Amino acid sequence: MTSTLDTLLTEREKDLHLGILDEGAKREIRRATLTAVCVPGYQVPFGSREMPVARGWGSGGLQVTLGVIGADDTVKVIDQGDDAGVNATNLRRMIAATTGCAGTADTREATIVQTRHRVPEERLREGQVLVLQVPVPEPLRGVEKSVVECARMHAEGDYSAMWVSLYEDLVRNGMITRTTGYPVLVGGRYVLATTPIPRWDVPRLHESEHLSLFGAGREKRIYAIPPHTDVRPLTFDDVPFEVEHAPGARCVLCGSDDVFLVEAGTTGAYACSDTEWCARVREGDADTEAHHARAPLHLLPDPSARLRAPATTTARPGRPRPVLPEGQDWALRVDGLGKVFGPGAADAVPGTGPEHGTAISPATGAIVAAWDVSFDVAPGEALGVIGESGSGKSTVLGCVIGDEQATTGAVRLAALDEGRTDLLTLPGDARRRLRVDSMAVVHQNPAAGLDLRVTAGGNIAERLTAAGWRSYHDIRRRAAELLDRVEVPLTRMDDPVRTFSGGMRQRVQIAKALATEPPVLLLDEPTTGLDASVAAGVLDLLRGLLAERDIAAVVVSHDFAVIEALTDRTLVMQLGRVVERGLTDQLFHDPHHPYTQRLVAAARR
Amino acid sequence: MGYSGARGGLEAILAAEDLVRRARDHAPAPWAPNEQITARFRLAVDRVMGEAGLYHADTSAAALRQAEGDPLEAAHLVRAHRSTLPRLAVSEPIDPDEMVVLRRIVPAFREPDGPQLLGRTTDYTGRLLEQPAGPPPRRSHTPATPPERTETQRRPGRFLDLLRKLDLVVDHRRVDDPEPFDITRKPARPPAERSAALASMARAETGALVALWYRSILGPDGDIHEVTLGEVRHGRLPLRVRHPHTGNPVRVGEFRATEAEAIEDLDGADEDRSRFDVGYGLCFGHNERKAIAMANLDVANRRFGRTGPLEQLLLLTTDGLDSAGFLEHLKLPHYVTFRSMVERKQAMRAAAEAGPRVAEPAGQECR
Repeated sequence: MTSTLDTLLTEREKDLHLGILDEGAKREIRRATLTAVCVPGYQVPFGSREMPVARGWGSGGLQVTLGVIGADDTVKVIDQGDDAGVNATNLRRMIAATTGCAGTADTREATIVQTRHRVPEERLREGQVLVLQVPVPEPLRGVEKSVVECARMHAEGDYSAMWVSLYEDLVRNGMITRTTGYPVLVGGRYVLATTPIPRWDVPRLHESEHLSLFGAGREKRIYAIPPHTDVRPLTFDDVPFEVEHAPGARCVLCGSDDVFLVEAGTTGAYACSDTEWCARVREGDADTEAHHARAPLHLLPDPSARLRAPATTTARPGRPRPVLPEGQDWALRVDGLGKVFGPGAADAVPGTGPEHGTAISPATGAIVAAWDVSFDVAPGEALGVIGESGSGKSTVLGCVIGDEQATTGAVRLAALDEGRTDLLTLPGDARRRLRVDSMAVVHQNPAAGLDLRVTAGGNIAERLTAAGWRSYHDIRRRAAELLDRVEVPLTRMDDPVRTFSGGMRQRVQIAKALATEPPVLLLDEPTTGLDASVAAGVLDLLRGLLAERDIAAVVVSHDFAVIEALTDRTLVMQLGRVVERGLTDQLFHDPHHPYTQRLVAAARR
Repeated sequence: MGYSGARGGLEAILAAEDLVRRARDHAPAPWAPNEQITARFRLAVDRVMGEAGLYHADTSAAALRQAEGDPLEAAHLVRAHRSTLPRLAVSEPIDPDEMVVLRRIVPAFREPDGPQLLGRTTDYTGRLLEQPAGPPPRRSHTPATPPERTETQRRPGRFLDLLRKLDLVVDHRRVDDPEPFDITRKPARPPAERSAALASMARAETGALVALWYRSILGPDGDIHEVTLGEVRHGRLPLRVRHPHTGNPVRVGEFRATEAEAIEDLDGADEDRSRFDVGYGLCFGHNERKAIAMANLDVANRRFGRTGPLEQLLLLTTDGLDSAGFLEHLKLPHYVTFRSMVERKQAMRAAAEAGPRVAEPAGQECR
């Protein structure tokens, strides 16, 4: 009698092969590999299988190789550039035993080269496939530990955290001290981890003739650099990328000094890490002239070039100040904005507001934090929003910024699409981009707007690199200019912000907000939490900055003194509604609404 | 130049393999056949089946023998073996209510539906080391009279149902019936569905899961606070697949599993303080530690997985093959990468020796 299992087995027998990976898995790996080739530098997730080698021992490279290899392929496997190492030997015997393909040490004969930590010195040609084993595929892990956040950064091409880490490295060490696995930008789009190959090998991935496939088995990712793809190591335009170099070192075996050398013995001698190349140089079977021409000798460390300023300043990226269309005088406009926390949306509104003395909906229990809030701000004008805690003013600001999802209403920026587009309809990434150069925020808590571990200059560099600045010296100059303007001593420019006092932190936050000269500036309780004298200083600074700029500002505060010092017009908010509006001076001297009268009285006390 | 350059490495590998085989397979001790291992090291076999994600005692036993008793290495052998096997079918959904219990305790209730069945456990046996001089006296393996069990005793109602009847539990049941996340075919990364987290935990390394559970209680970023175990059971479940020709579900076997329900007191601002939340754990074989840790972490993940590091920790750091593989890869040669690191240290030193770096006064030097 045949059992159900026997029947199932017969159905699938055609797929049963002796091997270390079933055919279904190989198809899946090929699909992922094709996707990777189509989107250079993008990490394609795949259902990584368990291999007979441990994850971390080339299980990803092995799967890629087994996925793309055929019986008539010739495979070369190296580890540290060496064909004879135990790990290389082990992988080669496993591949050869399960696929029946031929093995070789000669790079010229190989159709597939699987490698760990090196690219062969011999030039790889069209048709050859280089499979790199990847222990850690995420280039951003050093600057961001959350995988969700890393995915967002890749999706939005938001690599400013990476640029800040390079900037900080230069500030602290005078050079970029990253070693292996140097990050590169592939095809101008994705930042990719170059496995840990030495910097020496990185230029070989640029506009290569061969196909590079990267397999990360443990992290279940495959990515690729197709032939003729632009691959650039991340560095500022005016700071050279440097490869490894030991002055005066030559291979003790073949005498080469234009190869990647590793220590040989403990007496300071060096030898080629690529053993096959070394052997062929000795046998006279290597085109050393062509190799020399290809070697990255122009990238050897040159201390004099490191922080040398270019003769002329490169153009600073930035968008031109928008010209307001005819008949339109606002830079920011908010119409009928509403935010309800809890069920019911608009149905929750009746029975709430100042006349009912509550923001809690009698119908649904929801909190109507803001309703029917409208205003606009012109360039060069400052608008105040005042109210007690819980009046809804910060909710309104949150909805304008994008930290909160508004329930209803529209927010427009003259800088965006001449004010035709409602920001609230934009996806999260588009709204985050607007915060780079169209609309800046100064938060009450400096930690919300700054990375306290990073230097004052680095925090400003974050905004500038996000806006596309790529000159280290331009960034330094701009950061110094801004810090000077906000009266942060330039001797503190290279100190981490966490060592700053509260008032100084707030000044750095203001400098960062102004870095890209955004047309709209939003200030959320900018002086709350500061000592009175410090607050007065920051207030003075803000008043000066607003006066000298053609910026549209919204100032949210519970303090009439702040509103009076900074703004021209004011909205008064109570229980989620605007109860009074007018010129700040008039409101202050002749408040109509009893609530406004109370606020003014409190400020005069 | 041929293949000869690689000979040294191969010889070393073959010699290393021979050393292992000689010591392991030809040790001056009786051979341990699979049935010896499954009978005497049941919990180790069960643990390997769970961490390997393959329920087959014989395969696990062979792996444990080959791995010289290292359960992580054994799980690796079984998983690598699994990679060579085609997927013949996908089973019908398992209904845990069908479990015929071998052991079942309900700590949170004195007299629950059905029995408190101690079953086979050393929970109440003094941890006194026995050092017998030889095998114990022969004894019949079968119990004297197998006790007759009623249906309720065989398949008792679950404690969660009682809590539901008392309206004491937040209901997370979904009306839709989404396909479960298959962690063997897709990499699970946050944000992930609950089924991805449950599958990851079911296959996690037991020690890693217990450590994460304990970290959630005592660690600086802990999320579990009020722990009550609702129920833990160990029993047999039937496995059914659809017949390839008739399309009817056919029972093709059964497997043992451990199941746990953990009760969490809800105290968050937006949580229902008048009810409990219940987390679920299920894993292959008899492994109560894992099932209980899993159930507690399931609730913690629902409550705090996205606002803290827990979901990423669960999905990405509890797999034994991942963590052990990455750790062990440190033994591979790294002299190329190390050379690159040394070079930067030397470059920094050379720059320092060339003279003190003028700390740029805010970019003034570049004019």
